Amino acid sequence: MKTATADNLTALLVEWREGDQAALDRLMPLVYDQLRRIAHRYVQREREGHTLQTSALVNEAYLRLADQQVVWQNRAHFFAVTARVMRHILIDHARRRRYAKHGGEARQVPLEEASTMSLERAAELIALEEALAELAKLDQRKSQVVELRYFGGLSLEETAEVLHISLMTVRRDWRAAKAWLYRSLRDSE
Amino acid sequence: MNSLRWQEIETVLQDALDRPPLERASFIEDVCAGDDELKTEATTLIAAYEEAGDFIEQPALARDAHVLLGEVVDGAGREIGPYRIVERLGAGGMGEVYLAHDTRLSRLVALKLLPVYFASDEARLRRFQSEARAASALNHPNILTIYEVGEHDGVYFIATEFIDGKTLGELMKAQELSLAEILNCIEQVASALGVAHAAGIVHRDIKPDNIMRRHDGLMKILDFGIAKLLETQTPDDLYETAAVRTHTEAGLVLGTVNYMSPEQARGLAVDERTDIWSLGVVLYEMLAKRLPFTGATRMDTMVAILDREPARLAEVAHEHLASAPVLQTILDKCLCKEISDRYRHVGELLADLKTAREQIAGLARSVVETPSSSWLPRRWVSPVIGIVLLLAIAVAGTVIYNRSVAGRLPDEFRAVESRATKLYSQMNERERLDFVAEQEQRISSMMGERSVKLDEKAIRVIKAHVDWYAARVGSSDNAETSATTATYERAVPYVPLIARSFAARKVPVIIGIYLPVIESAYKPCYESPLGAKGLYQFLPSTAQIYGVSRDEMCDAEKMTAAAAHYVADHMAELGEDAQSVTLVLISYNRGAQWVRDSLRKVRGTNNYSRDFWTLLANRDALDEPFRTETARYVPSFFAAAIVGENPQVFGLRIAPLSTLAEPGS
Repeated sequence: MKTATADNLTALLVEWREGDQAALDRLMPLVYDQLRRIAHRYVQREREGHTLQTSALVNEAYLRLADQQVVWQNRAHFFAVTARVMRHILIDHARRRRYAKHGGEARQVPLEEASTMSLERAAELIALEEALAELAKLDQRKSQVVELRYFGGLSLEETAEVLHISLMTVRRDWRAAKAWLYRSLRDSE
Repeated sequence: MNSLRWQEIETVLQDALDRPPLERASFIEDVCAGDDELKTEATTLIAAYEEAGDFIEQPALARDAHVLLGEVVDGAGREIGPYRIVERLGAGGMGEVYLAHDTRLSRLVALKLLPVYFASDEARLRRFQSEARAASALNHPNILTIYEVGEHDGVYFIATEFIDGKTLGELMKAQELSLAEILNCIEQVASALGVAHAAGIVHRDIKPDNIMRRHDGLMKILDFGIAKLLETQTPDDLYETAAVRTHTEAGLVLGTVNYMSPEQARGLAVDERTDIWSLGVVLYEMLAKRLPFTGATRMDTMVAILDREPARLAEVAHEHLASAPVLQTILDKCLCKEISDRYRHVGELLADLKTAREQIAGLARSVVETPSSSWLPRRWVSPVIGIVLLLAIAVAGTVIYNRSVAGRLPDEFRAVESRATKLYSQMNERERLDFVAEQEQRISSMMGERSVKLDEKAIRVIKAHVDWYAARVGSSDNAETSATTATYERAVPYVPLIARSFAARKVPVIIGIYLPVIESAYKPCYESPLGAKGLYQFLPSTAQIYGVSRDEMCDAEKMTAAAAHYVADHMAELGEDAQSVTLVLISYNRGAQWVRDSLRKVRGTNNYSRDFWTLLANRDALDEPFRTETARYVPSFFAAAIVGENPQVFGLRIAPLSTLAEPGS
């Protein structure tokens, strides 16, 4: 099994930043593993009546994956990857969930997995994904803001850091994107 | 719609959103005159925004964390290193337990997977690992054998022997136990505890669920040392204390409090007599079929533990008492609120349990008035204690280690100046101003006689931190105080070494002291009694750059020299002035690049007078990591340095910082 080391994380982040999409594919499993652990904590704390900031958890995942040897600028890229992975996992899951409902036989969804997401939620996520893809065509940056905030759990400040834009711009992008997506989802119902 | 059109729409949308809700409609009407499509778009978007509420405001993870877990909580067939999970056995406060097959040795093991909650805290994890390793060295038929403590792909696990049997808790529910059986159980457990205690290991969580009986009747104690994980010990942990306490109060981590000793309930230090108490509770429960201390809530139970006397056996288990009158004495000696009145060690308890057995068998010559007092012949006691101490120092106990350090402080650090100064928090405003002026002077001299002028905002920050520190350190005897004290004490023996090494590199000695103090607090030294690992927490790769091999990382001399070298390099890079000195402290943890970036930001603010406190006072301009991490403990160090002039006030055995060697001296 693969183990995330600071070295390969850094290298992969750099490669990805430099445009190597294959690097993202190799980053995914590393990040996915961390995300699952984050989720575990999330659920555990939730059961215990605590609320945890997703952002804090993602930061923690980074710290654990990376360590101080990693060049700090890469943090932003890590967040971006996290958000992308999270989005990928959830949407994929939602699609399979819906597929299972429609009687697909190609892949049996195990009971316990299927039961983790309601059909309503799956439909909502798929609609959101489709709207987000539309938004990306019009305004790439806004769709990134949403990806980072909603799927990556980043704060406004962190989103600004990742995208190298001002906090004000993030706020404005966010509210416009929220209005656009909400309208789109409402209309698709 | 295309991008250009969208930009137009967005402009109207944003402008409208900048206006109060009631004015938006008329604004759109005005600005979209003649463009109906634009007007419709803007109007529907505004309406959508106003309706949206908290739509997508909560990150997806908050709702869908369960999805990610689908593959984490699965069971059979999953492989963790060489272990293949067969089935889930159960869950305890400390994680899920699985029956697994060790594919290397082809045997069944019980595999406990640590909750991520624990695994994510490095200090806790290290503590756990060292404790578990210490426990795994215990070789006793009544102690569950630990095969392996390890980590595979981020999952921390303990592989132990698999016991086909029931926990004592299950056993008590399932069947009636005869007095002979009860005594047999307790004796087996007590004798195992005796071995552990002799090795300096306290279980801390003896309860029926942690004791198993194999089908052949052999008792096994589970989870040695693991309860220690739940305690906060290091100052770094203090920031999590509130959370941990909440857990504890909610009963979610610690589980039951019924077996807790009074000293545990009060949050005091524990020793082997805590296990004796808990075992007494178990014995009471087995005899009386009810708990000695209970309450409607955890709090009530703890109050009962601290204040109430349990019902006498004559009332709740008179038939057992009739067969073995010594039982009441045994319970009394186990369940003394005052720790010093309890059995001193399990040897004494075992002797009385033997008496009880003899009484049942009708062999007792008479009722034993005074329980026998020694488990070992007197001439053995001293060497045994010596060995126990050695073991404890070598293996596990930070606490014992700290005590031993206190005992071998160099004489020059014993004699501390006892100038009677008031606590900062007790000063009036005038005194405080003078005090701060004095500290300003002191910080200047710490920084190598270069002038440091603090602005008002920075002074407020200093005052706040000193107050915080003084309140924390000066408050009553609690775990926090002892953690701070212990940290200082641990650093003190190395002060001469540090002073030499840092002075030789013309680096302020104060930084040298800072590094061990803060770093060891941050990641306490568990593994080496020498303390070097606690002194300087270099990453292996960094240490290697400075010529310290992995094997040498416990060598205080080498690590100190490397640290001095490392700091000197940073100072050379950042510039040799007061600012660089403070920033070196920060960069030590955050990395030089981060310091450079932060500086760039903070230079954009006003009143930046080039020192740590103003940097801190301007922390709003800094990165999140600064606010959440460095900003916490670097100032505590400075606050500690300030109050360190009068260490006795705080029970700190450390020489006044001003008397330590200056660079070049």
